[in-house]
Amino acid sequence: MTTASRRLRRLAPLAAVVGAGALLLTGCGPASSGSSDSGKFTYFGQTENTTIIDTLTTLSEDQCAAEEKAAPLTADKSAGAQFDQKLQLLAGQDALSNMSMAAGTPSLMKQFIDADQVLNLSDELDELGLTDKILPAAASTIEALYGEDDMYSLPTEFNIEGFWYNKQLLADNGIEVPATWDDLVAAAETLHGAGVQPFAADGKDGWPITRLVGNYIARDIGPDALKAVADGDAKLTDDEYVKAADAVAELGKAGYFGDAVGSIDYNAAMNQFLTGQAAFFYMGSWALANFNDETQNTIGLDNIGYAPFPEVEGGKGSIDQVPANVGVPVMFAEKGFGENQKAWLDCIVSNYGDTVLNDSGVVSGFTIDNPPADLPETTQTVQQVIADAPSSILWFEALFNSKATSVSQTNGGGLASGSLSGADFMKLVQDANDEG
Amino acid sequence: MTVQTTAIASVNPRGLAPERVPQRRAGGPRRFLARLPVRILLAILLVIMIYPMVWMFLGSFKTQGEFLNEPFWSLPQSWSFENYVSVFENGFGQYILNSIIVVFPSLAIVLIVGVAAGFALEVMVWKGRGTVLLLFLAGIMVPTQMILLPLFTIYFRTGLTGTYWPMILTYIATGLPLTVFMMATFFRSVPREIFEASTLDGAGILRSFWAVGLPLVKNAVFTVGLVQFFFFWNDLLIALTFTNSDALRTIQVGLLNFTGQYGAVQYGPTFAAIAVSVFGTLVIYLFLNQQVMKGLTAGSVKG
Amino acid sequence: MERVLGDKRAVLILLGPALLLYSLIMLVPIIWSLGYTVMDGNPIVGFTFNGLDNFIKFFNDPAAWSAVWFTIRFAFVMTVLQVAAGYGLSLLYVFYLKKASSTIRTIIFFPIVLPTVAIALLFTRLFEAAPTTGPVNSFLNLLGIESVDWFGTPEASFWVLILMGLWQSMGFYGVLLYAGVLDIPEEMLESARLDGAGGWKLVRTIVLPLSLPVLLSSLIFSINGTLKVFDSVVALTNGGPGNATTPLTLYMFQTSFTYGQYGYGSTIALMLTILCLLFTVFIFRSTRRDLTKD
Repeated sequence: MTTASRRLRRLAPLAAVVGAGALLLTGCGPASSGSSDSGKFTYFGQTENTTIIDTLTTLSEDQCAAEEKAAPLTADKSAGAQFDQKLQLLAGQDALSNMSMAAGTPSLMKQFIDADQVLNLSDELDELGLTDKILPAAASTIEALYGEDDMYSLPTEFNIEGFWYNKQLLADNGIEVPATWDDLVAAAETLHGAGVQPFAADGKDGWPITRLVGNYIARDIGPDALKAVADGDAKLTDDEYVKAADAVAELGKAGYFGDAVGSIDYNAAMNQFLTGQAAFFYMGSWALANFNDETQNTIGLDNIGYAPFPEVEGGKGSIDQVPANVGVPVMFAEKGFGENQKAWLDCIVSNYGDTVLNDSGVVSGFTIDNPPADLPETTQTVQQVIADAPSSILWFEALFNSKATSVSQTNGGGLASGSLSGADFMKLVQDANDEG
Repeated sequence: MTVQTTAIASVNPRGLAPERVPQRRAGGPRRFLARLPVRILLAILLVIMIYPMVWMFLGSFKTQGEFLNEPFWSLPQSWSFENYVSVFENGFGQYILNSIIVVFPSLAIVLIVGVAAGFALEVMVWKGRGTVLLLFLAGIMVPTQMILLPLFTIYFRTGLTGTYWPMILTYIATGLPLTVFMMATFFRSVPREIFEASTLDGAGILRSFWAVGLPLVKNAVFTVGLVQFFFFWNDLLIALTFTNSDALRTIQVGLLNFTGQYGAVQYGPTFAAIAVSVFGTLVIYLFLNQQVMKGLTAGSVKG
Repeated sequence: MERVLGDKRAVLILLGPALLLYSLIMLVPIIWSLGYTVMDGNPIVGFTFNGLDNFIKFFNDPAAWSAVWFTIRFAFVMTVLQVAAGYGLSLLYVFYLKKASSTIRTIIFFPIVLPTVAIALLFTRLFEAAPTTGPVNSFLNLLGIESVDWFGTPEASFWVLILMGLWQSMGFYGVLLYAGVLDIPEEMLESARLDGAGGWKLVRTIVLPLSLPVLLSSLIFSINGTLKVFDSVVALTNGGPGNATTPLTLYMFQTSFTYGQYGYGSTIALMLTILCLLFTVFIFRSTRRDLTKD
């Protein structure tokens, strides 16, 4: 064996070579994707979401055939779990696709906006005269989500959330649809006493639990309460906020979410509700696809009711403010946006809403010109709620940074199983949010 | 290098010749009873190993409802191939092909290049070889996650993105440290006299690597190859980072296709896809296993 | 002869390709990433120099320390168990099953072939507490013990992870070590047997010392694999409950790619590399003493 100093001396030339290589590589000229219009319309989406790409393909064969001819649609996809990572890598190379699903975490989306990576769609739609093709509620949701005055993504989905309930189970136990949180807790107690699991919940993914915390805050402190936290005017560890997490933790401690809720995944929770094993199910309206599927739904479509998230007594929020989200919207890259891409944007905004509702039964944030005649009743209810809603509220993590989002959702299961107190939960999330 | 015991340990590889063990163990009931605990243990072990695979196979015939509502050990209610059909409709054939296209060239290159490097670092005598060996060793310790961002940039700038190359190159590079390190270890256990003798015979060093060194470490090459094969074959991180299109997806990435946007898993098709990929791997494994065995017995003949 | 073994051109031909590939695709990115450890930011918002802030942050970050602790604990327990189980299997193959071992070896080896995603799904079902009761809990119920929510507590999740890793890898280590044990010269075993050594004594005095080199390789291989555990954790627990089963790799990955903090992420990766280095040197040191007592 050589001595350390001799080894070091031998290492020096090698390090120099390697270093020079690194310099060469980093400096090897500008990125090659220079042209502004590639003659293609590129789309990049999550593997898990097939609705958007299917709809685009349908459009390319029908209403957007001319655009397809000028710039053919080419699609790539990546797994949802790693999608934000992929977007970051691509944006870092100035190589976002013409159209892609937006980043799952709004804070990443804000970075794209600040770095001028994504297109200001309000301006573009204004120019195309298509501003009124977007439902106002959807537009305001998107604007609030990214904290901008303009729209940077298109609402390919528009979902409302609330408690879906099993009419039969409620009737059997003499329970009215709860209008206040106390009603809900009382209903849960009655059901639990009768041997019925009150709530089905996906504790593994956590977000269906933290949604309850967020909605409670909005009902109790008011719809702007979470914005105050994001702006630094309030802390989640303040008493009034902790109260909300405690309210949910109470449900968990009482066992209202069932056994081992931390191990229940999305499928299992959905299945519990649709096979009549649980009375209430907090979920977004995208679940209608499962409700409408007779092989999954054994309790019957007519047996499912929708209850808006209840009011909190003495709270500043109102039951009319609907928890809403735009699913995963789509964004357009600033780079490479030429005439062909503009034509595609025009065609998509004009036709997407009708096509996706007719073909896939998905309610989007676009206005509908030709509604299908035979929509299921629950879908009609959802459309009605959207149309009637005076305003919408965002979910718990919407305005947090990505670390706080992740910490919140990984600990949601702890709240539901009663192993984590409201105060501890809020402290974890607040700490994570302060850091980023 | 002074690891003498190591050298002794591996001269004259005995290969598969344990039958030379003296037959002092006669049969009989006492013998049988004495062996019983081990046999029972072995039986339990085999059940633990085999049952999950049977379960997966049975699972590939089940519907989503059966997965959620029937007990774990129930048999499928019908033997329909619906799940398999949906697997291949999802383009799984292409994924298998991609896995093969990416893994085998990587494996071949990493072995050839790695064995040669191991030879140059351990058998040959030159200044600075200790340093270079340490440099390779350092690569074993670096987590792959660390190099993803620079690599993505490199591949993008050189225009390799969207081809098989990013995966192949990354597999080779991440496989090299371990291969070089293990091959150096194996060459260390070959007595130097063998190479010295062959060079005295007038053979060039490249020839003595090919004709003398390589056959001596054949078993080791197969072992390392097997290790690397499963690393590459089961890799998810690299394949996920460097593939965007269906045309490039490998089996592991393809398995994620059956997970829904909100976290819903389609169990039936997932297990059917697993069954298909496992069957393919089994064929490859049985083939390789035969080669390993051939290599081992060949070694014993020579020894 | 020394001239032939020192042929510079031959060294270049043999070593060149490996060194070139390794340098370009591993060393350059590693050095590149090391540069990020003194930076703040990500590729979108750009990077700014921030000195040693990332390192200070690491030493004051409770989540990072809990990840370090989990990583070490997992790596230690897993390495000891999988190498020990593999070694036991290899002895079983060579001295007990002998020629008949081929089929059994294949069967026990096979789980390493299965995709991690599949194994995680399987273990989730095996240890399931709700909505249906999995086999493990059914067995506990049979004994009169109440069902355990295996993925609800940190301690239980840890052991399920260990069991899963062991199930997957012990056959693999069995085969890896099998080759080493097989290489022990029959003559040495023979003479030891003639001296009256048998069973445990034979293993301790002859087999163990002679298979030390391959055991050493396995240990280093195993510790470096388990310190960098990623796939199986992501697939089985995704670091939960809370962050109780989050190893450094996952924390690094989340920090860089989910939270968009590349500088801090690279710092975590560097710390993990140092950890791997320490363990490897430790194993080297502690075994080399035995090997070179000439």
